[in-house]
Amino acid sequence: MTASDALGGQRYFDDVESGDEFTDSWSPTGEQVVAFLTVSNRTAPGPNRFTDDEEARKIGMTKAIVPGQMSLCRATDFVTDWMGPSGRLRSIDVNFRRPAVHDEPLKVVGLITDTLDDDGATTVKLDVYFENERGERPLQGVAVVELPRR
Amino acid sequence: MTTDVTFEYDESVIGVEVPIGAEEVTAEKIATFCSALGESNPIYTDPAAALAGGYTGLVAPPAILQTLRLDPAPSAKVKFGNTAFHSGMRFEVVEPVLAGDTISVSAQVKEVYAKTGRTGTMVFAVTKFTYRNQHGRTVANTESSTVHRQVER
Repeated sequence: MTASDALGGQRYFDDVESGDEFTDSWSPTGEQVVAFLTVSNRTAPGPNRFTDDEEARKIGMTKAIVPGQMSLCRATDFVTDWMGPSGRLRSIDVNFRRPAVHDEPLKVVGLITDTLDDDGATTVKLDVYFENERGERPLQGVAVVELPRR
Repeated sequence: MTTDVTFEYDESVIGVEVPIGAEEVTAEKIATFCSALGESNPIYTDPAAALAGGYTGLVAPPAILQTLRLDPAPSAKVKFGNTAFHSGMRFEVVEPVLAGDTISVSAQVKEVYAKTGRTGTMVFAVTKFTYRNQHGRTVANTESSTVHRQVER
């Protein structure tokens, strides 16, 4: 594989500007939540609020909820997929404003809010959020990414 | 705004860093993670792409650090309200993690504080996690906040 092949999905600093938006969708299933809990060794014996609707209702939720760390992972992957192989995620800072629940269709949004060329260090700041069909945002955050120049 | 609300917690754990485990980030773990989350950046899925991109081996997606198998982090044992939720995370990436790296993690309770907003009083406990590779270099930091509050049921 050549470098140009490998960098085929690369995002460049020269090509982005404030106001640019990119989106994806995510509807986390119960099976995906269990897979995430398993890979991160967070499975617990018996039903819990992440796996069982009844347990979630006991704490005021409408159905089983998605772990915050899984939402952070999805938001992070959304950004790292977008930036491409030579991008570098510096940080992502998220708030869990309300629980995301199983099978809830979510729009995943990235909105560039600032671009900065600081002595050759080219970084992009973007808002990242999940939005459900009621316009609520279970996750809202800010990411900072380094992008290369062309 | 801050508030004078009364709550109890274990002050002795504040700022005390405790090792909570270590795990090798294998190529298999990276593949499982990418599959579960739908990650498709080629430096995480294809060693040849990672090499072409200037890395010395397959790169781990940064968020994989959130799935390391660890002991429980120290707790401030906050006594307030009747429920607790994960309210936010700040994840700072310092340098890439490559397949085969062994990541050691330490954690400390950074702070506990109360805030009162339009939905009532909440008590936040912030835990800081530091991730270091086998060379002793910090590869990432995370701050995770848990909110304790009273919920009508």
